[in-house]
Amino acid sequence: MNEPVKQRSALIVWQLALASALLFAWEWGAASRRLDPFFFSRPSEIVLRVGQWVGTGILWMHLSITFTEAILSFLIGAFLGVLFGFALAGVPILAALLDPYIRIANALPRVVLAPIFLLWFGLGIWSKVALGVTVVFFIVFFNTYRGVREVDGAMIDNARMLGASHAQLVRHVLVPSALTWIFSSLHISIGMAIIAVVVGEYLGASRGIGYLIGQAEGTFDTTGVFAGMAVLAAGVLVVGGLVGRLERQLLRWKPEHAGVGVERLG
Amino acid sequence: MRYSMVPSSDTRPALRLQDVVKRFGTYVAIEAITLDVPAGTFVSVVGPSGCGKSTLLHVIAGLLAPSGGRVEVFGKPLTGINRRASYMFQQDALLPWKTVLDNIRLGLTLRGQNGRDAMENARNWVERVGLKGFGDHYPYQLSGGMRKRVAMAQCWIVQPELILMDEPFGALDVHKRLRIESEILGLWTGSGKTVVFVTHDLEEAISLSDDVFVLSAGPGARLVGRYAIDLARPRQLMDIKADSRFHELYRNIWRDLRQEVLKSYERTS
Repeated sequence: MNEPVKQRSALIVWQLALASALLFAWEWGAASRRLDPFFFSRPSEIVLRVGQWVGTGILWMHLSITFTEAILSFLIGAFLGVLFGFALAGVPILAALLDPYIRIANALPRVVLAPIFLLWFGLGIWSKVALGVTVVFFIVFFNTYRGVREVDGAMIDNARMLGASHAQLVRHVLVPSALTWIFSSLHISIGMAIIAVVVGEYLGASRGIGYLIGQAEGTFDTTGVFAGMAVLAAGVLVVGGLVGRLERQLLRWKPEHAGVGVERLG
Repeated sequence: MRYSMVPSSDTRPALRLQDVVKRFGTYVAIEAITLDVPAGTFVSVVGPSGCGKSTLLHVIAGLLAPSGGRVEVFGKPLTGINRRASYMFQQDALLPWKTVLDNIRLGLTLRGQNGRDAMENARNWVERVGLKGFGDHYPYQLSGGMRKRVAMAQCWIVQPELILMDEPFGALDVHKRLRIESEILGLWTGSGKTVVFVTHDLEEAISLSDDVFVLSAGPGARLVGRYAIDLARPRQLMDIKADSRFHELYRNIWRDLRQEVLKSYERTS
């Protein structure tokens, strides 16, 4: 085992120890009535509840709904963001014209749109997807715009000298440059998409983790609320890990993303 | 075919500039430069820093349109990008998301040559510039000198008739520089290609070139002189600086260049 790996495993041990200590304190507090289980529930009950959900199969149904919504909002939001990012970066007049509107729209808290989307798109998944899209769109849009605008002038000149047409310049230089920025923001945009759809579900839905949490809250079932949160946290952790892998693969040409074993040659 | 491998039989000068002016707004970068470069020769352009050498090269490349005057390439007036030229930039211009091999064959890819021949050609170039085994590496994994070699192969693989180089080795240490300069001369010898090499280093200019053009201090750079370098070829760059003729040439050109360097000091300080 080399040094960094050793350090990493030591860190994981400490992280697990911290979690166990907190959970133990919580459980002990609830058992000894120092924490009122009505308000704080207790870890053992939360685990039991998650087990029940898994047993009856409702967990997968809600979880898959939430992640389907998040993925759909990411895909649609990213597509629109890339499209607008390129259009505005390529046509400065358009960027100047739309600039104040984009600022206003981005400053607006997206939560206030949820009731309107409920009216427009109904209680099903599409009102949540719409909410997620409004969040993802701006992240991807700003990153695309920057990626296209900040591409190195020498790279463009070099490609032009080597015979690149306008379309080839877009394909070989501008798109990869923008993708770099978009990939770097994958974690944020997917995380934000999950938050947005859960908020959407919480405000009005018939399925999804947000709905599950909202239902539990409506009946003062703190165990249900915490169980929903735990499931969501686990889901986000798994998705984060997958996104990290994807990012390392897509950005393997960048020094900070290179895996172990790739050395810089002097 | 647009790009010929054989020495061009063209007897017209590869490049002819007539009263070329380049202004940026009210700032005159270069003023009325007239010169011609015979086909198949290696010429250098030297001048104090900030004198517009790079601007001149950009005009020749067609990346900048001149504000006045004429640029002719093999007898034809230049409009738009100079399709008979390759350009090796001062700064790093490789695409960081492409491997060494893909960067080298970029010019071929852009011409729609994606076949086995193009691939084989690119692999040959990886070896020719001494990067065997590095074809699948990304630019960040290479040293500065290795990246310059990739850029060199990228320029040469499209078989241009005219090669423009803008202080390409300025960032390298003296020994690496000497080695890569020898390789450039090796590639050029017998290729029939015309090279326009921009540098601020007079020694480098003399040791590589057939002709050295000296530009005056900017703004409003003019051509101060043209000096024929009659050192025999092939040249041994390792030993050439000990040659007495080299010293003589150096002294002659430096006499003129020195004045311009002093002027540029005065203007910037």
